[in-house]
Amino acid sequence: MEMTNLYQSLNLILPELVLSAVLVILVAADLIYHNNKAPVKFVALSGIVVSFFFLLFNFDNSGFAFTFGNTIRNFGLVTVDNFGHFFKLIVLISSFFVVIFSFSSIELKEAENRIGEYFALIYGMIIGMFFMISASDLILVYLSMELLSLSSYVLAGFLKLRERNSEASLKYLIYGAVSSGLMLFGISILYGMTGSTNLYVINSLIQGPNINLLTLSFALILIFAGIGYKISSAPFHFWTPDVYEGAPVTITAFLSVASKAAGFALLIRFIKTTFVSYTDANGAWNLINVFDWQSVLIAISILTMTLGNFSALWQDNMKRMLAYSSIAHAGYMMLGILVLSNQGLLAVLIYFAFYLLMNLGAFLVVMLIANKIGTEDINSYNGLGYTSPFLSVSLAIFLVSLTGIPPTAGFIGKLYLFIALVDAKMIAVAVIALLNTVVSLYYYIRVLKHMYLIKTEPDTPVIKPNFIETLIVLALAVPVILFGIYFQPVVDFAKSCLVILGM
Amino acid sequence: MHVGLTHFLIVSAILFTLGIYGIVTRKNAVMVLMGIELILNAANINFVAFARYGNFGLGGQVIALFIIILAAAEAAIALAIVLNIYKTFSNVNVDEIDKLKE
Amino acid sequence: MLLDYLPIFLVLAFSVIVSLAIVFSSRLFGPYRPNKIKNLSYESGKDPVGSTHERISVKYYLVAMLFIIFDIEVIYVYPWAVEFRNMFHSNGLFAFMPMFIFLIVLELGYLYILMKGGLKWD
Repeated sequence: MEMTNLYQSLNLILPELVLSAVLVILVAADLIYHNNKAPVKFVALSGIVVSFFFLLFNFDNSGFAFTFGNTIRNFGLVTVDNFGHFFKLIVLISSFFVVIFSFSSIELKEAENRIGEYFALIYGMIIGMFFMISASDLILVYLSMELLSLSSYVLAGFLKLRERNSEASLKYLIYGAVSSGLMLFGISILYGMTGSTNLYVINSLIQGPNINLLTLSFALILIFAGIGYKISSAPFHFWTPDVYEGAPVTITAFLSVASKAAGFALLIRFIKTTFVSYTDANGAWNLINVFDWQSVLIAISILTMTLGNFSALWQDNMKRMLAYSSIAHAGYMMLGILVLSNQGLLAVLIYFAFYLLMNLGAFLVVMLIANKIGTEDINSYNGLGYTSPFLSVSLAIFLVSLTGIPPTAGFIGKLYLFIALVDAKMIAVAVIALLNTVVSLYYYIRVLKHMYLIKTEPDTPVIKPNFIETLIVLALAVPVILFGIYFQPVVDFAKSCLVILGM
Repeated sequence: MHVGLTHFLIVSAILFTLGIYGIVTRKNAVMVLMGIELILNAANINFVAFARYGNFGLGGQVIALFIIILAAAEAAIALAIVLNIYKTFSNVNVDEIDKLKE
Repeated sequence: MLLDYLPIFLVLAFSVIVSLAIVFSSRLFGPYRPNKIKNLSYESGKDPVGSTHERISVKYYLVAMLFIIFDIEVIYVYPWAVEFRNMFHSNGLFAFMPMFIFLIVLELGYLYILMKGGLKWD
């Protein structure tokens, strides 16, 4: 590899380099500060901020990094573009919030002396997600996915001797290892068919005449197993409720937002760069005629949201309910991908920006309540609306936004998705999605019923969050309302992030 | 009959099937993990065989190196988690660990 | 045809025949006068104690896991070492850098294990 090429490549992945350096520093700091873990926490938080600035600094910088010098076309292992930057921003913002959540989590207080390990593993997850978002080579996809998975297996069972945690960790491990193994096998078949693992090269090769479509479909379904597991879409979603319920709340929140964002970014990039021959003037993606992604995605998306919404109806545990709700949301977001156009992509980006706020917020409030009353059971929320109005109102805002009722951000997100669907003349899919939204109304509002309509018992606890916690809840709740009314900046920003470098 | 690509693919297909069979039928978590290792090795054989017989260069073999290391890392983490499960539940049978079902 | 495998079969057959021959020839030619002590399994001249199917202490697994991780990382050093001469010619001392960083990170991991007490036996 040429030196100049290497420097350029390293320049393109500066945020990742910063994160890796901070990971090393974190491990060292954990060794140096035995008793007082405050410096470790400081390093963890400031590392994210520094990398955030590097990301902003890098924003309009795009190109291929780590290209192979001797090939005709210079497509590299890593593709840096604005689409990737958008998802990286989502990952970084959510990790910022999750790190702050972790400071005030009661669960993690038991493991205070291992907190360095915790943050180091979170950094491992972030680095994995960053590379997943910008990977344009199947091997880097697999490696980064494993980096993310291996860190999150451990984090899901971080509080070692709790049964719930250990079980979550084992289930996550087994489902994850199986699906990533399947994905790897799929990649190996695809490699055999095309002789390359680079998405751009595969794109040009599968347009050739002598591609066995049956084998290709087999390989693609196996690869989708790996991606579908990360975004918890329908046939691969079984781990989600158990892991979300068992893992520490901070990790659940992180998995439900950041890890899902990385999975979606990977899915979109995989479809866009590998199977789209060109984008026409209206922004519609023209699929190469080898595998009918659209039908597959329609089926999976409908299955995912229906299963998620209907299973959520019976849940009494808030975390478990939010887990099913996040499955349903994965289904909604796939709606934006299956129209296969820039308009749909725009809708996904907008939806993700809002989903980040409302889902993180909901988990944060659940955690603050669980810190006090020690359980996430919905029946212990009775009457909380009167004893702790601030948290209840915020939770209400987040849940209403998750349902998609105006004037909240969630409504705008859903609106863009439905408009994209209708513009693509998929009325039937849009109607099914709308019905699903109606179903979801029931279980979100049920929480509000418990908080406000069931009579207060004399021993209903009063939960008063401290200053920082209040600030964080406000930082999530205010934008949810604000973007519901004035959403133009988010839309404009998302519009500038539609660029996926490609054919 | 010369040993060619087909032979390797058959071996890898057999390994893959055995891996899936192991994952589906075994109750012991360690056995499930061994099934997963079989799948990874099946993919590995594919990569090396395709690289050798398809004249795709050394790429496939380098990928195989990466996979070997990942498999080891995964096995280490998996064993640690299984040990932890044994400490909390006193067994490692995946169908008996169901505290989280409602 | 299967003739390609002939050398392998020959080796297999040869090893089976030789080992069987050795076992049976000692039985055939040697004196055979068993008694109780001779039939005991041999363990460094001591009386064998306990069952051979004992559980292995869980601590072995921890050490084994750590060993596997560090052992297998060496695989990354090989391609680098094979390619080092070329890299040194084109890039000079910079060729050391990737492996240097890799080994430092690896060493940090080792230090982490050591200081966290991962290698303590008790």
